Amino acid sequence: MVAIEVNGLTKDYGNVRAIESLSFAVEDGEVFGFLGPNGAGKSTTIRTLMGFQSPTDGGATVLGHDITDQSAMIEAKRQVGYIPAEMGFDEGVTGKRFLRYQASLKGDTRSEELLELFDPPMDREIGEYSTGNKRKLAVVLAFMHDPDLVIMDEPTSGLDPLMQERFYEFIRGEQAKGTTFFFSSHILSEVQKICDRVGVIRNGHLVELEDVETLLERGGKRVSVHVAESVEAGAFAIEGAHDVSVTGDEQSAQPTAADGSGDDPSTESEDAPSGGRDGTSVSFTYTGDYNALLSHLIGYDVLDLDIEDAPLEDVFMRFYGEVDPDREPSTVGRQANV
Amino acid sequence: MTLDVLRYEGEHQLKSTLGISVAFALLALLFVASAPLITTDVTSSTQFQQVMTELPQPFIEAFGLQSMTSLEGLLAGEFYTLMWAVFFGLYLAYTAAGSIRGDIDANRMDVLLSNPISRWSVLVQTFLSLLVPILIASVVTPAVIYVGTLFIEPSIAVEELIMVHVLSIPYLLCCGAIGLVLSVLLDDRDTAQNAAIGVLFALYLFQSFIPVTDYGWLANIAPMSYFDANEIMLEGTYDFTSAGILLAATIVLIAVSQFRFTRMDIQ
Repeated sequence: MVAIEVNGLTKDYGNVRAIESLSFAVEDGEVFGFLGPNGAGKSTTIRTLMGFQSPTDGGATVLGHDITDQSAMIEAKRQVGYIPAEMGFDEGVTGKRFLRYQASLKGDTRSEELLELFDPPMDREIGEYSTGNKRKLAVVLAFMHDPDLVIMDEPTSGLDPLMQERFYEFIRGEQAKGTTFFFSSHILSEVQKICDRVGVIRNGHLVELEDVETLLERGGKRVSVHVAESVEAGAFAIEGAHDVSVTGDEQSAQPTAADGSGDDPSTESEDAPSGGRDGTSVSFTYTGDYNALLSHLIGYDVLDLDIEDAPLEDVFMRFYGEVDPDREPSTVGRQANV
Repeated sequence: MTLDVLRYEGEHQLKSTLGISVAFALLALLFVASAPLITTDVTSSTQFQQVMTELPQPFIEAFGLQSMTSLEGLLAGEFYTLMWAVFFGLYLAYTAAGSIRGDIDANRMDVLLSNPISRWSVLVQTFLSLLVPILIASVVTPAVIYVGTLFIEPSIAVEELIMVHVLSIPYLLCCGAIGLVLSVLLDDRDTAQNAAIGVLFALYLFQSFIPVTDYGWLANIAPMSYFDANEIMLEGTYDFTSAGILLAATIVLIAVSQFRFTRMDIQ
C-alpha cells in the first residue's frame, strides 16, 4: 500500500504560487525525506496533506483517504502522528494537562514509555518551556497513539545534538516496527542519516526524487581553514574543492572574524606586521575524499579549522542549478560572493 | 461528538469567569446597597425631576431613568440593561471573537485539527464553552442580590429575579455568536475582537436611539431589542417569543460560522 500519494498538488496563496504540480508517493514503511531550503514549500505541502488547507489544484491521499474529504481525513488522523513546525501548544497549562487533553482526543497507548525516552518537564507550564522541551513534548504527542504514519515538519530544529541522535535512533526503531515517516528538513546530513528516499523541493517544484545513496554523493562540506603561512592562489585547487577563496592578512579581519577565532591572529598582526607571518584564510566547499583533504592540510601549519555542512542552497545550486531564475535573484548574488 | 474540547475550553474560562462573577456581584451589591437612598431621596429631588423633564425621551430610556423609583426598577433599568446586557454582552462577543481566530493565529488550531476531530465539532464546542461564564455568573449574581436584599428595607421578587437571568441567556449567547462569526470572518485576532466590541456597541446605540426616527424598525436587528429587563422585573411579563428569536439568530450565526470555518484555509 502507498502511505501518501500526491498527484499534481498545487497551492496558491492569492497571487503567490507556493507549490506547483507536486507528484510523488511515499511507500508503506519507508522513511521519506522532504528536503528543501526555507521557503521552498515544504510546510505548505505538509499542511495541505494534513487537510488544514485545500489544494488549488491536484490532490493527494493520506493512508488511502482523500485530503479534501474532511470526514475521511478524520479517519486518517486516527492513524497519523503530526509534529508541526510551529508548536502551538497552550502556554498556560502544564505539559501534563495538555497531554491529557490530547489523549482524550486521539487516545494514548504509549505516552509513559515516550516520556521516559524524551522527558520534557511535564509539571511545568508550557509557556516556560524552551524550544527543545517543546520539541520533546511534540514528539511524545505525535507518537502517543501509536500511529502508522508520522508526518513531521522540521522535527529536529531546536533539539540538542544528543536528543537529535536519540530521535534518529527512535525513528529507526519505529520504522523497524512498520511505521512510515514523511518528514521535511533543510538539513542535508540529517536526511542522509535516516531516510530511504528523498524528494527535493525548490521554489515549490519537486526537483528530484532519489534514493539516499545518490544523495550521499552530493552535499559537501564548507571548509574554512586558517593557516600560518601565506598561500598561493592555486594551492587549494585539489580534487573536490569548489569555489576556493584565499584571503591574505590585509583582508583577513573580515572573513575570519565571523567564526570568532580570527581575533587573536589579527591582533598579533597589528603588533608585528611582518607580511604573511600571521596567516591566511582559505575557504571552499569540499565534496572530495576526506583523507585527501587531511593529507593536503598536513603540509600547513593549521591555526584553525572549521568543517560544517554546506548550506543547502549552495548544494542545490551546484547539482540542480537554477529552477526559476526570475524568482531568486538574491541567490545568484549570494553564490557569486562565495 | 465527545465533549473533550468543551471540557478543556470551559476549564480555560474558569479563571475569567470567577473575575466576571465577582465583578457583577460587587456591582449588584452596590446597587442594592444604594437602592434605599436612590429610590426615595434622589428620585424625589427637584433636580432629578428637572432632568427628567429636560432630557429627550430616548436618553431617559437609554439610561433607564424612568424606573429609578423602586429597587426592581433600579436593577432592571440600570444594572440589567446597562451592566449585564451591554457589558456582559460585550465581554462574550469579545471572548468569542478571539476564540477560533486566536487559536489559528497562535498555531494552536493546527495541533487541535491534527487530531481525529471535525472542524464542526471544534467550532460548536468552542462556542458552547461560553456557557461557563454565562451560567456561573447567572447563578452567583442573583444569589448575591437576593442575600443583599435581606439586609435592606425593600425586598425583591425572587421569581422575576430568576427569570431576568433565564431570559438573558439567549441574549448573551446571541452576543457570543456575533463574536464567533467575526472570529472566522476576519483574519486577525485583534481585528476580530475590536470589531466585536464595535459591532456590539453600535447595535446598542442603534437600539437606544433609532426607534425615535423614521427608521425605527431598524432597531429590530439589535439583539438588545429582544431582551427587556424592565418588562420582566417591573411588569412580570416574560417574552418567550423574543427569547426564541434570539436563539434562532444564534443558531443562524453559528451555521454561518460553521459554513465558513469548514471551508477556510487554516493559515
